[in-house]
Amino acid sequence: MFKSLIEKNERRSQLSIMAQYLNTCFMISTVDDEYLISIEKGNVTNVEEGPFVMPSYIFKLTASKNEWLKFLQSTPQPGSHDIIAMLRRKVLKFEGDLHPLMSHLLYFKLLLASLRPTESNREN
Amino acid sequence: MKIEKEPITGNYGKFEIDGVKHRIYWEEAGEGIPLVCLHTAGSDGRQYRALLNDRKILKKFRVIVFDMPWHGKSSPPENSQVGHYKLSTESYISQIMSFIDGLELVKPVVMGCSIGGRIILHLAINFPKKFKALIGLQSAGHLDPYYDISWLHRQDVHGGEVCGGIAYGLMAPTSPENDKFETMWHYMQGGPGIFKGDLFFYKFDGNIGTEIKKIDNSKCPIFLLTGEYDYSATPEETKSLADTIGIEMIKMKNVGHFPMSENPKEFLKYLHPVLEKIN
Repeated sequence: MFKSLIEKNERRSQLSIMAQYLNTCFMISTVDDEYLISIEKGNVTNVEEGPFVMPSYIFKLTASKNEWLKFLQSTPQPGSHDIIAMLRRKVLKFEGDLHPLMSHLLYFKLLLASLRPTESNREN
Repeated sequence: MKIEKEPITGNYGKFEIDGVKHRIYWEEAGEGIPLVCLHTAGSDGRQYRALLNDRKILKKFRVIVFDMPWHGKSSPPENSQVGHYKLSTESYISQIMSFIDGLELVKPVVMGCSIGGRIILHLAINFPKKFKALIGLQSAGHLDPYYDISWLHRQDVHGGEVCGGIAYGLMAPTSPENDKFETMWHYMQGGPGIFKGDLFFYKFDGNIGTEIKKIDNSKCPIFLLTGEYDYSATPEETKSLADTIGIEMIKMKNVGHFPMSENPKEFLKYLHPVLEKIN
Protein backbone atom coordinates (compact mmCIF):
# COMPACT_ATOMS: atom_id res chain seq x y z
CA MET A 1 0.00 0.00 0.00
CA PHE A 2 2.84 2.40 0.84
CA LYS A 3 5.66 0.68 -1.10
CA SER A 4 5.39 3.09 -4.00
CA LEU A 5 6.55 6.00 -1.81
CA ILE A 6 10.04 4.96 -2.94
CA GLU A 7 9.19 5.57 -6.59
CA LYS A 8 10.31 8.92 -7.90
CA ASN A 9 7.70 11.20 -9.33
CA GLU A 10 7.42 14.93 -9.89
CA ARG A 11 5.21 15.60 -6.89
CA ARG A 12 7.56 13.85 -4.48
CA SER A 13 10.67 15.43 -5.99
CA GLN A 14 9.19 18.90 -5.47
CA LEU A 15 8.42 18.08 -1.85
CA SER A 16 11.99 17.34 -0.81
CA ILE A 17 12.88 21.05 -0.65
CA MET A 18 10.29 21.44 2.13
CA ALA A 19 12.24 18.96 4.25
CA GLN A 20 15.83 19.41 3.13
CA TYR A 21 17.21 19.01 6.68
CA LEU A 22 14.97 16.09 7.59
CA ASN A 23 16.52 12.68 8.21
CA THR A 24 14.19 10.24 9.94
CA CYS A 25 12.63 6.83 9.89
CA PHE A 26 8.93 6.31 10.57
CA MET A 27 6.45 3.49 10.48
CA ILE A 28 3.03 3.30 8.90
CA SER A 29 0.83 0.53 10.20
CA THR A 30 -2.42 -0.78 8.76
CA VAL A 31 -2.68 -3.01 11.85
CA ASP A 32 -2.10 -6.12 9.72
CA ASP A 33 0.81 -4.73 7.68
CA GLU A 34 3.70 -2.47 8.58
CA TYR A 35 5.92 -0.24 6.46
CA LEU A 36 9.20 1.24 7.61
CA ILE A 37 10.00 4.40 5.68
CA SER A 38 13.41 6.09 5.67
CA ILE A 39 13.86 9.73 4.71
CA GLU A 40 17.14 11.45 4.00
CA LYS A 41 17.29 15.16 3.22
CA GLY A 42 13.58 15.10 2.44
CA ASN A 43 13.80 12.19 0.01
CA VAL A 44 12.30 8.77 0.64
CA THR A 45 15.33 6.47 0.42
CA ASN A 46 13.84 3.18 1.55
CA VAL A 47 10.44 1.57 2.15
CA GLU A 48 10.54 -1.81 3.81
CA GLU A 49 7.44 -3.93 4.24
CA GLY A 50 7.07 -6.04 7.43
CA PRO A 51 6.62 -8.21 9.31
CA PHE A 52 9.43 -6.97 11.53
CA VAL A 53 10.97 -8.54 14.59
CA MET A 54 12.62 -5.48 16.15
CA PRO A 55 11.73 -2.45 14.05
CA SER A 56 13.41 0.79 15.03
CA TYR A 57 11.68 4.04 14.14
CA ILE A 58 11.08 7.55 15.44
CA PHE A 59 7.31 7.73 15.14
CA LYS A 60 4.44 5.59 13.98
CA LEU A 61 1.08 6.25 12.31
CA THR A 62 -1.52 3.52 12.79
CA ALA A 63 -4.92 3.25 11.12
CA SER A 64 -6.88 0.30 9.75
CA LYS A 65 -6.34 -0.68 6.12
CA ASN A 66 -9.86 0.46 5.34
CA GLU A 67 -9.18 3.94 6.76
CA TRP A 68 -5.94 4.25 4.81
CA LEU A 69 -7.76 3.20 1.64
CA LYS A 70 -10.32 5.95 2.23
CA PHE A 71 -7.48 8.45 2.77
CA LEU A 72 -5.84 7.38 -0.48
CA GLN A 73 -8.90 7.99 -2.71
CA SER A 74 -8.29 10.57 -5.43
CA THR A 75 -10.93 12.79 -3.81
CA PRO A 76 -11.32 11.54 -0.26
CA GLN A 77 -14.54 12.01 1.65
CA PRO A 78 -14.77 14.53 4.51
CA GLY A 79 -13.01 13.18 7.58
CA SER A 80 -10.71 10.98 5.49
CA HIS A 81 -8.97 13.76 3.58
CA ASP A 82 -6.32 14.62 6.15
CA ILE A 83 -4.34 12.83 8.85
CA ILE A 84 -5.46 15.32 11.53
CA ALA A 85 -9.06 14.75 10.40
CA MET A 86 -8.46 11.04 10.98
CA LEU A 87 -6.94 11.82 14.36
CA ARG A 88 -10.06 13.82 15.22
CA ARG A 89 -12.24 10.80 14.35
CA LYS A 90 -9.93 8.65 16.49
CA VAL A 91 -9.24 6.28 13.59
CA LEU A 92 -5.55 7.22 13.37
CA LYS A 93 -3.02 7.13 16.16
CA PHE A 94 0.22 9.12 16.34
CA GLU A 95 2.91 7.54 18.54
CA GLY A 96 6.55 8.09 19.38
CA ASP A 97 8.67 11.21 19.05
CA LEU A 98 6.39 13.44 16.99
CA HIS A 99 8.90 16.25 16.50
CA PRO A 100 9.93 15.26 12.94
CA LEU A 101 6.26 14.90 11.99
CA MET A 102 4.97 18.12 13.54
CA SER A 103 7.92 20.23 12.43
CA HIS A 104 7.33 19.01 8.84
CA LEU A 105 3.58 18.55 9.03
CA LEU A 106 2.71 19.88 5.59
CA TYR A 107 5.53 17.84 4.03
CA PHE A 108 4.22 14.59 5.53
CA LYS A 109 0.64 15.41 4.56
CA LEU A 110 1.66 16.05 0.97
CA LEU A 111 4.00 13.05 0.90
CA LEU A 112 1.17 10.70 1.87
CA ALA A 113 -1.24 12.48 -0.45
CA SER A 114 1.22 11.92 -3.30
CA LEU A 115 0.07 8.29 -3.28
CA ARG A 116 -3.40 9.33 -4.40
CA PRO A 117 -4.32 8.72 -8.04
CA THR A 118 -3.16 11.67 -10.09
CA GLU A 119 -6.12 12.17 -12.42
CA SER A 120 -7.62 14.77 -10.07
CA ASN A 121 -4.36 16.75 -10.13
CA ARG A 122 -4.98 17.70 -6.55
CA GLU A 123 -2.37 17.55 -3.84
CA ASN A 124 -4.46 16.87 -0.76
CA MET B 1 0.34 48.44 -18.36
CA LYS B 2 -3.14 48.77 -16.88
CA ILE B 3 -3.64 47.59 -13.35
CA GLU B 4 -6.78 45.93 -12.14
CA LYS B 5 -7.54 48.15 -9.15
CA GLU B 6 -9.72 46.67 -6.45
CA PRO B 7 -12.48 48.70 -4.73
CA ILE B 8 -10.97 48.14 -1.26
CA THR B 9 -9.78 50.93 1.04
CA GLY B 10 -7.36 50.22 3.88
CA ASN B 11 -7.37 52.26 7.09
CA TYR B 12 -5.57 52.50 10.40
CA GLY B 13 -7.16 53.88 13.56
CA LYS B 14 -6.58 53.96 17.29
CA PHE B 15 -9.32 52.29 19.31
CA GLU B 16 -9.66 51.99 23.05
CA ILE B 17 -10.31 48.37 23.96
CA ASP B 18 -10.81 47.61 27.65
CA GLY B 19 -9.14 50.93 28.50
CA VAL B 20 -6.04 50.22 26.40
CA LYS B 21 -5.20 52.03 23.12
CA HIS B 22 -4.92 49.67 20.16
CA ARG B 23 -3.78 50.47 16.62
CA ILE B 24 -6.18 48.57 14.40
CA TYR B 25 -6.16 48.02 10.65
CA TRP B 26 -9.33 47.50 8.67
CA GLU B 27 -10.43 47.30 5.08
CA GLU B 28 -13.75 48.20 3.61
CA ALA B 29 -15.68 48.44 0.37
CA GLY B 30 -19.26 49.05 -0.70
CA GLU B 31 -22.18 51.06 0.60
CA GLY B 32 -25.29 50.27 2.59
CA ILE B 33 -25.89 47.95 5.53
CA PRO B 34 -22.66 47.53 7.52
CA LEU B 35 -21.41 43.95 7.29
CA VAL B 36 -18.56 43.41 9.75
CA CYS B 37 -16.55 40.27 8.99
CA LEU B 38 -14.45 38.40 11.56
CA HIS B 39 -11.47 36.31 10.46
CA THR B 40 -10.42 32.94 11.85
CA ALA B 41 -7.89 32.16 14.59
CA GLY B 42 -4.29 32.88 13.62
CA SER B 43 -5.15 34.58 10.33
CA ASP B 44 -6.27 38.05 9.25
CA GLY B 45 -8.80 40.00 7.23
CA ARG B 46 -7.36 39.01 3.85
CA GLN B 47 -9.55 35.93 4.15
CA TYR B 48 -12.46 38.13 3.01
CA ARG B 49 -10.75 39.43 -0.14
CA ALA B 50 -13.43 37.94 -2.41
CA LEU B 51 -16.29 39.44 -0.44
CA LEU B 52 -14.61 42.84 -0.55
CA ASN B 53 -14.52 42.50 -4.33
CA ASP B 54 -18.01 41.12 -4.91
CA ARG B 55 -19.89 43.82 -6.85
CA LYS B 56 -23.28 42.32 -6.11
CA ILE B 57 -22.72 42.47 -2.34
CA LEU B 58 -21.02 45.86 -2.44
CA LYS B 59 -24.11 47.46 -3.99
CA LYS B 60 -26.12 46.82 -0.83
CA PHE B 61 -23.58 46.25 1.94
CA ARG B 62 -20.67 48.18 3.37
CA VAL B 63 -18.29 45.27 3.94
CA ILE B 64 -15.81 45.99 6.75
CA VAL B 65 -13.06 43.64 7.86
CA PHE B 66 -10.67 44.37 10.71
CA ASP B 67 -7.52 42.56 11.72
CA MET B 68 -7.72 41.59 15.38
CA PRO B 69 -4.95 43.00 17.60
CA TRP B 70 -1.73 40.95 17.06
CA HIS B 71 -3.01 39.81 13.65
CA GLY B 72 -2.33 41.01 10.10
CA LYS B 73 -1.52 44.72 10.08
CA SER B 74 -2.97 45.48 13.52
CA SER B 75 -0.39 46.09 16.23
CA PRO B 76 -0.06 44.32 19.55
CA PRO B 77 -1.10 46.65 22.41
CA GLU B 78 1.61 48.57 24.27
CA ASN B 79 3.86 46.67 26.69
CA SER B 80 3.18 43.33 25.00
CA GLN B 81 5.53 40.37 25.27
CA VAL B 82 5.93 37.36 22.99
CA GLY B 83 4.35 34.21 24.37
CA HIS B 84 1.76 35.85 26.59
CA TYR B 85 -1.10 36.22 24.12
CA LYS B 86 -4.33 34.46 25.07
CA LEU B 87 -7.70 35.42 23.61
CA SER B 88 -10.52 35.42 26.13
CA THR B 89 -14.24 35.65 25.43
CA GLU B 90 -14.41 38.95 27.24
CA SER B 91 -11.55 40.56 25.30
CA TYR B 92 -12.86 39.24 21.96
CA ILE B 93 -16.29 40.76 22.63
CA SER B 94 -14.62 44.03 23.68
CA GLN B 95 -12.64 44.21 20.42
CA ILE B 96 -15.75 43.76 18.31
CA MET B 97 -17.93 46.17 20.28
CA SER B 98 -15.15 48.81 20.43
CA PHE B 99 -14.65 48.54 16.68
CA ILE B 100 -18.38 48.87 15.98
CA ASP B 101 -18.72 51.81 18.39
CA GLY B 102 -15.56 53.44 17.02
CA LEU B 103 -16.92 53.39 13.48
CA GLU B 104 -20.36 54.44 14.78
CA LEU B 105 -22.02 51.54 13.00
CA VAL B 106 -25.72 51.24 13.71
CA LYS B 107 -27.23 47.76 13.77
CA PRO B 108 -24.56 46.09 11.66
CA VAL B 109 -24.65 42.53 10.44
CA VAL B 110 -21.72 40.59 11.91
CA MET B 111 -20.39 37.52 10.15
CA GLY B 112 -17.61 35.46 11.69
CA CYS B 113 -15.82 32.26 10.80
CA SER B 114 -14.52 29.62 13.22
CA ILE B 115 -13.61 31.63 16.34
CA GLY B 116 -15.71 34.33 14.67
CA GLY B 117 -18.48 31.76 14.23
CA ARG B 118 -18.27 31.06 17.95
CA ILE B 119 -18.19 34.68 19.11
CA ILE B 120 -21.34 35.55 17.16
CA LEU B 121 -23.12 33.10 19.49
CA HIS B 122 -21.86 35.08 22.48
CA LEU B 123 -23.03 38.28 20.77
CA ALA B 124 -26.45 36.69 20.18
CA ILE B 125 -26.71 35.78 23.87
CA ASN B 126 -25.48 39.11 25.25
CA PHE B 127 -26.45 41.85 22.76
CA PRO B 128 -29.14 40.51 20.41
CA LYS B 129 -30.72 43.91 19.81
CA LYS B 130 -27.49 45.54 18.69
CA PHE B 131 -27.35 43.61 15.42
CA LYS B 132 -29.49 43.42 12.32
CA ALA B 133 -28.42 39.80 11.88
CA LEU B 134 -25.58 37.44 12.80
CA ILE B 135 -23.98 34.96 10.43
CA GLY B 136 -21.88 32.09 11.76
CA LEU B 137 -19.53 30.25 9.43
CA GLN B 138 -18.21 26.99 10.82
CA SER B 139 -20.00 27.58 14.12
CA ALA B 140 -20.01 25.10 16.95
CA GLY B 141 -20.97 25.67 20.58
CA HIS B 142 -17.84 24.05 21.92
CA LEU B 143 -14.81 22.09 20.81
CA ASP B 144 -12.88 19.54 22.80
CA PRO B 145 -9.15 19.52 22.00
CA TYR B 146 -8.31 16.76 19.52
CA TYR B 147 -4.60 17.48 19.00
CA ASP B 148 -1.90 18.90 21.22
CA ILE B 149 -1.89 22.63 20.46
CA SER B 150 1.45 23.16 22.23
CA TRP B 151 3.03 22.20 18.87
CA LEU B 152 1.79 25.51 17.48
CA HIS B 153 4.23 27.50 19.58
CA ARG B 154 7.52 26.01 20.59
CA GLN B 155 10.94 27.30 19.74
CA ASP B 156 12.16 24.07 18.12
CA VAL B 157 9.33 24.07 15.55
CA HIS B 158 8.81 26.81 12.96
CA GLY B 159 5.43 28.31 13.87
CA GLY B 160 4.59 29.37 10.32
CA GLU B 161 5.29 25.91 8.94
CA VAL B 162 3.22 24.04 11.52
CA CYS B 163 0.31 26.52 11.55
CA GLY B 164 0.22 26.38 7.74
CA GLY B 165 0.24 22.58 7.88
CA ILE B 166 -2.66 22.53 10.30
CA ALA B 167 -4.69 25.03 8.26
CA TYR B 168 -4.04 23.20 4.98
CA GLY B 169 -5.72 20.03 6.18
CA LEU B 170 -8.84 21.89 7.29
CA MET B 171 -9.60 22.79 3.67
CA ALA B 172 -11.46 20.67 1.15
CA PRO B 173 -9.47 18.68 -1.41
CA THR B 174 -11.92 20.08 -3.95
CA SER B 175 -11.09 23.75 -3.26
CA PRO B 176 -8.91 25.55 -5.82
CA GLU B 177 -5.19 25.10 -5.06
CA ASN B 178 -4.38 28.81 -5.45
CA ASP B 179 -6.99 29.88 -2.93
CA LYS B 180 -5.94 27.10 -0.58
CA PHE B 181 -2.34 28.19 -0.84
CA GLU B 182 -3.19 31.80 -0.09
CA THR B 183 -5.31 30.75 2.89
CA MET B 184 -2.43 28.66 4.19
CA TRP B 185 0.04 31.48 3.53
CA HIS B 186 -1.88 33.81 5.86
CA TYR B 187 -1.37 31.21 8.59
CA MET B 188 2.31 30.97 7.76
CA GLN B 189 2.61 34.72 8.34
CA GLY B 190 1.08 34.78 11.82
CA GLY B 191 3.16 35.87 14.82
CA PRO B 192 4.63 33.38 17.30
CA GLY B 193 1.96 31.92 19.58
CA ILE B 194 -0.94 33.87 18.10
CA PHE B 195 -2.82 30.96 16.56
CA LYS B 196 -2.35 29.00 19.78
CA GLY B 197 -3.47 32.02 21.83
CA ASP B 198 -6.65 32.31 19.75
CA LEU B 199 -7.36 28.64 20.26
CA PHE B 200 -7.50 29.25 24.00
CA PHE B 201 -10.79 30.99 23.24
CA TYR B 202 -11.90 28.39 20.69
CA LYS B 203 -11.17 25.26 22.71
CA PHE B 204 -11.50 26.43 26.31
CA ASP B 205 -12.69 29.89 27.33
CA GLY B 206 -15.28 30.42 24.60
CA ASN B 207 -17.02 27.06 24.89
CA ILE B 208 -20.76 27.43 25.33
CA GLY B 209 -22.94 24.74 26.87
CA THR B 210 -26.57 25.10 27.84
CA GLU B 211 -26.37 28.89 27.47
CA ILE B 212 -27.06 28.30 23.76
CA LYS B 213 -30.70 27.96 24.78
CA LYS B 214 -30.71 31.67 25.66
CA ILE B 215 -30.32 32.59 21.99
CA ASP B 216 -33.58 34.03 20.73
CA ASN B 217 -33.71 34.07 16.96
CA SER B 218 -36.71 36.40 16.99
CA LYS B 219 -34.63 39.17 18.60
CA CYS B 220 -31.83 38.84 16.06
CA PRO B 221 -31.92 36.51 13.04
CA ILE B 222 -29.07 34.02 12.98
CA PHE B 223 -27.76 32.14 9.98
CA LEU B 224 -25.37 29.20 10.25
CA LEU B 225 -23.36 27.90 7.29
CA THR B 226 -20.76 25.13 7.53
CA GLY B 227 -18.50 23.50 4.95
CA GLU B 228 -18.73 19.74 4.68
CA TYR B 229 -14.96 19.14 4.86
CA ASP B 230 -14.50 20.92 8.17
CA TYR B 231 -13.42 18.51 10.88
CA SER B 232 -12.90 21.25 13.46
CA ALA B 233 -16.47 22.53 13.54
CA THR B 234 -18.26 19.72 11.74
CA PRO B 235 -21.62 20.06 9.96
CA GLU B 236 -23.04 17.70 12.59
CA GLU B 237 -21.97 20.08 15.36
CA THR B 238 -23.47 23.07 13.57
CA LYS B 239 -26.67 21.10 13.03
CA SER B 240 -26.91 20.33 16.73
CA LEU B 241 -26.41 24.03 17.47
CA ALA B 242 -29.03 25.03 14.88
CA ASP B 243 -31.51 22.52 16.31
CA THR B 244 -31.07 24.00 19.78
CA ILE B 245 -31.65 27.52 18.47
CA GLY B 246 -34.53 26.30 16.32
CA ILE B 247 -33.20 27.31 12.91
CA GLU B 248 -32.06 25.53 9.75
CA MET B 249 -28.35 25.24 9.02
CA ILE B 250 -26.84 25.43 5.57
CA LYS B 251 -24.33 22.72 4.73
CA MET B 252 -21.90 23.90 2.06
CA LYS B 253 -20.60 21.26 -0.32
CA ASN B 254 -16.99 21.15 -1.49
CA VAL B 255 -15.62 23.55 1.12
CA GLY B 256 -13.89 23.16 4.45
CA HIS B 257 -13.11 25.38 7.43
CA PHE B 258 -12.35 28.60 5.48
CA PRO B 259 -15.18 28.91 2.93
CA MET B 260 -14.73 32.63 2.15
CA SER B 261 -11.01 32.19 1.52
CA GLU B 262 -10.41 28.62 0.29
CA ASN B 263 -13.24 28.57 -2.25
CA PRO B 264 -14.87 32.01 -2.54
CA LYS B 265 -16.77 31.18 -5.71
CA GLU B 266 -18.54 28.26 -4.09
CA PHE B 267 -19.07 30.16 -0.82
CA LEU B 268 -20.70 33.16 -2.48
CA LYS B 269 -23.34 30.89 -4.01
CA TYR B 270 -24.48 30.14 -0.47
CA LEU B 271 -23.96 33.62 0.97
CA HIS B 272 -25.86 35.65 -1.64
CA PRO B 273 -29.31 34.23 -0.74
CA VAL B 274 -28.60 34.77 2.98
CA LEU B 275 -27.70 38.42 2.41
CA GLU B 276 -30.78 38.86 0.22
CA LYS B 277 -32.93 37.64 3.11
CA ILE B 278 -31.24 40.06 5.52
CA ASN B 279 -31.59 42.95 3.10
